[in-house]
Amino acid sequence: MSVRLLVLEDDDGIRTSVTMALEDEGYEVTGHPSAEEALRDPSLGEVDLHLVDLMLGGMDGYSFIREVRRRSDVPIIVLSAKGDTHDIVAALEAGADDYVTKPFEIKEVSARLRALRRRPPTRSAEQTADAPDVVVLDAENGPLVLDTGAAVLRRGEEVVHLTVTEYHLLRELAASAGRVLSRQVLLERVWDHGYFGDERIVDVHVRRLRTKVEVTASDPRLVVTVRGLGYRLDPQ
Amino acid sequence: MRPAAGRLGIRATSTASFALLALVVSTLLAVGTYLTARHYLVGQREATATRQAFVDAALLREGLLTAGSSVSDVLDETSPPPGAVVLVDRSGQWYTSSLETGEADVPADVRAAAAQGRASRAWTTLAGGPAVVVGVPVPAVGVAVYEISPTTELQSTLRTLAVVLAAFAAGTTAVGALLGGSASARTLAPLRDVASAAAAIAAGRMTTRLPDTSDPDLAVIVGSFNSMVEALEERMQRDARFAADVAHELRSPVTTLMTSVTVLRSAQGRDPERQRAAADLVDREVRRLHRSLEHLLELGRLDAGVLERDPEPMDLEALVRHTLADTGRAHVGVEVVGPLTPVEGSKPQLHRALVNLLENADRHGGGVEQVLLRSGSGSVEVLVVDRGPGVPDAERSRVFDRFSRIGSRGSTPGTGLGLSLVAETVRAHGGRVWVEETPGGGATFVIGLPAGGDGAEGGS
Repeated sequence: MSVRLLVLEDDDGIRTSVTMALEDEGYEVTGHPSAEEALRDPSLGEVDLHLVDLMLGGMDGYSFIREVRRRSDVPIIVLSAKGDTHDIVAALEAGADDYVTKPFEIKEVSARLRALRRRPPTRSAEQTADAPDVVVLDAENGPLVLDTGAAVLRRGEEVVHLTVTEYHLLRELAASAGRVLSRQVLLERVWDHGYFGDERIVDVHVRRLRTKVEVTASDPRLVVTVRGLGYRLDPQ
Repeated sequence: MRPAAGRLGIRATSTASFALLALVVSTLLAVGTYLTARHYLVGQREATATRQAFVDAALLREGLLTAGSSVSDVLDETSPPPGAVVLVDRSGQWYTSSLETGEADVPADVRAAAAQGRASRAWTTLAGGPAVVVGVPVPAVGVAVYEISPTTELQSTLRTLAVVLAAFAAGTTAVGALLGGSASARTLAPLRDVASAAAAIAAGRMTTRLPDTSDPDLAVIVGSFNSMVEALEERMQRDARFAADVAHELRSPVTTLMTSVTVLRSAQGRDPERQRAAADLVDREVRRLHRSLEHLLELGRLDAGVLERDPEPMDLEALVRHTLADTGRAHVGVEVVGPLTPVEGSKPQLHRALVNLLENADRHGGGVEQVLLRSGSGSVEVLVVDRGPGVPDAERSRVFDRFSRIGSRGSTPGTGLGLSLVAETVRAHGGRVWVEETPGGGATFVIGLPAGGDGAEGGS
């Protein structure tokens, strides 16, 4: 079954052309000109990835992203002509996973799509050999356990809800536990961004991840910031 | 702003003026004081000398009336004040209380007066200094008594007074200069604040403001300076916002073009249906880009305040009919209410303004229903009537702002500049534009042009 995309864009030309271009790449695309219409779409729950414009007539892109986040963890990419820091950070904080500024090459969009669509690799013989499936992140509180085999994070018996991107980020940090990972490295590994990627994406996602894995998000112990270098995961 | 060479600044001028004023006033006062004091002191001195002379003359008379006494004996008994000399003339025989002083020291007119039996007084010089001479005839004993009183102490008093007054005048002048200097420095201090604030603003710190002041004289400067900076800041923000809006407006068609070209490439030779759809998109977006650029250019012209042509008298009805026919709307009804006052304007610009209103009606009002022409008070009005959803009250002034978008963009988005172009064109013609509700629903956009065209101006 092909991957289903939702394109929310009020500009007719962009919506039509992006829809066609992504269809050419083998995706199944549904386009909507307004957030209200997209939310009424009965097949919204089956969408695998959202492409969302921020400036829309009526309900704006930020509200739409929050609404989608409330319902699911599927990746969301923002397509925006706004390139200001506060617009981007606001969109990421609303729950977007990545963003592309207009005008863009469709190749760029599909590269981001692929990066976010990348599923956690299934267990291979090699992995079973040198890395355990289960990593205990915090033995005292919970315990907090990352199960890379099942791709879930558990605190005690309970599953901690992570978005796909948050899970990838945590897995990368856990795989290099005790070592500092620069924002650049994380951008490349989690988002497939090249050299000119936006490091704010990493910061916003780390902030969101902390609210889920830390005991006190404002006083992080597990995912710590190493000033000037990046982030490090310290198993407790 | 460069100070002219050789010209004095405000501070120097003000210091000099204060000093000069102080000098003049203090000199006048000093001279006046000196003259008054001298007049009084001299009068006093003369009166004293006269009194003394009469006392001495009386003494001499008493002495001489005593039998057997000689003039020189009596003269010895008189006690003139120190320095004063008493002379006695007894029928040409002169007696004197001082060896250095004699007949020659008594001025002739005093002697003449005494000879005629009159007492008199005069000024003379005694031992190089001024002195008062008083002549008193004493007929009872046949003598004339003269008393010469030197006034050296009066002179030295007057000299001291003159020195003191001159020093006072000089001091006052210096104080005046200081006062002038410091007063102008105080007056200029706010100007220095203004200058440093202006420099800060020029350096880009647009939040710089002059602190509020309770001084009513300064409040005016501070107030207008601050409001100038605010206007400037607002203008800059508006320009920045406009630039951002323009960039945003151009990004959308460019995005579509880039994506459509990708689609076009991959559909080449495989899928003619898709190829045509993509080509249509390219076509539409290129037009949209073109229209955006045209609108931006027009806006630039209007911002520069340039009417494309000199205003010329025109027939508005003909212009409206022409525009409708030109844009394939010949079927739209034109109604003229009453006789129209002639107007003046730039035909091509008003034509484009009308086109923008018609396109706006297409895009948001389901197409123009009718165009009405009528004479208002002092103006001629063109009404473009549609039957669309209308414009909500709250949005009626905002629709004419650049890039204000009311409602959704629909399938054929405009440039976001059309109505602002209409507004600015009409404003350049000295008229105004507004939107009202069409009776029974819809929007009516009204262009009001000044009758007679006297409001048309090439720029402001």
